[in-house]
Amino acid sequence: MNSIESGISGLDEISSSVGSKDGVIQENSATLVYGPPKVGKSILCNQFTYHGLNLDEPCLYLTTDQSMHELQQNMMDFEWFLQNPIEKELLYVIDTLSPLSGEEINTTTTYKVSKINDPTDLMVKVGIGTRFVFKKSNKFRSVLDSLTTPFAFNPEALVIRFLKAYIRRLKEAGATVLVVYTEGVVDEKTEKILKSLMDNVIMMDGEYLTFRSTTGLVGTAEYNITNKGIFLEKGKTL
Amino acid sequence: MILMIVRVVSGIPGLDELTSSEDELGLGLGGIPENTITLVYGPPGVGKSIFCHQFAYYGLKQDEPCLYLTTDENLQELQEDKTNFGDDLKKYMESELFYVVDAASDIEEELESSDIYHISSVKNPTDILIKVSQGANSIKQKNPRFRAVIDSITSILESNNEMLIVRVLKTYILRIKEAGGTAVINYTERSADLRTEILIKSMVDNIVKLNGNEIVIEAMRGMGIKNKSYEITEKGIIVE
Repeated sequence: MNSIESGISGLDEISSSVGSKDGVIQENSATLVYGPPKVGKSILCNQFTYHGLNLDEPCLYLTTDQSMHELQQNMMDFEWFLQNPIEKELLYVIDTLSPLSGEEINTTTTYKVSKINDPTDLMVKVGIGTRFVFKKSNKFRSVLDSLTTPFAFNPEALVIRFLKAYIRRLKEAGATVLVVYTEGVVDEKTEKILKSLMDNVIMMDGEYLTFRSTTGLVGTAEYNITNKGIFLEKGKTL
Repeated sequence: MILMIVRVVSGIPGLDELTSSEDELGLGLGGIPENTITLVYGPPGVGKSIFCHQFAYYGLKQDEPCLYLTTDENLQELQEDKTNFGDDLKKYMESELFYVVDAASDIEEELESSDIYHISSVKNPTDILIKVSQGANSIKQKNPRFRAVIDSITSILESNNEMLIVRVLKTYILRIKEAGGTAVINYTERSADLRTEILIKSMVDNIVKLNGNEIVIEAMRGMGIKNKSYEITEKGIIVE
């Protein structure tokens, strides 16, 4: 199995340091990034996205916690500018939040909106977006940031159903998927199901990033958030 | 440290020094990152409302409008506030800088709604959202930036289904940010389900905790956790 460059400084090095050929995130896998609020989960996703864009790997980005405007602002804090990838049609965004603002929204070829409380419509848009991105490159990334707001607007079972369909569709198309979730906002049972749907999990707690990958690799490292994104200290495998 | 972040002066003496960046050039001025949402939380009686007053008042003194949602003190009680904030409110309402959504008044009261004063009720979150959104729209016509306050979300949570309030709050946050506002939201710790509390924390940008002795910046764009002791004087909160 090939692994992909996560773009997270220090993360890919942990696995290579133990002589493992498998990285933490393998190509065409699904990874759950979870932890309490404000520990850098979105930053990790954005870093993953931006790194891919710089390698000309397109990204299908579902923004369900932040409007497109906020997403761009947050990326700009780290000097990750999206103008160029947007012009090259490498970044395809589905925004379920901006419609809540009540403002008129101008969609484009690569910027679509959907409703936060309508997972069926979102799934249709995901299908269309996947085809678009797939045509650009069969090696691409997909980010869903995050499940937190969908859980607040929909019954838990419905969100899980959407997530299953989403992961199946994207993996079929060859994508490497990252999904964010804020720990503790759903039932324990739902949380378990959520983790069981994923190949890898990355847990962040503000101090340590711990991962378990489908290849059996388990590791942990201290991390810091700098103006260049997330930096892992020298980690170790467990 | 990120230099690109534009900040607004909090109005709480000593707090902005705590949030200023420590780069060698000393370029980073402290304050609350502009166009973000700050949760101020903690147990009852530690000064969360005073924080809100100071934040709003500082802006008003700089001619920055403020969209104020009040749920525990009605307008009259706000005006009776012992600091200058209360005394000056009338003036700022006349100059249309202070825009109030009052969800603390009894309907029978005689105050009439006007362009800048709207009566609502904690039992009707949809109505609150409509009035606050109208307020944000009307303010943004004339001002690229403004302050917004919810004092407090606690009473609204107590009178409604918590998930509904989470959704209303998410919408509020989005609308304030799109309109260019910088907001402070007061929430009493543990007054809602743990799950609701986590959701609220996940929706805001910055988290400030007051515990009676210490102010803890648990999260803020561009910086790590910081804390300092504070006291409440007749002039409000002062961070040492």
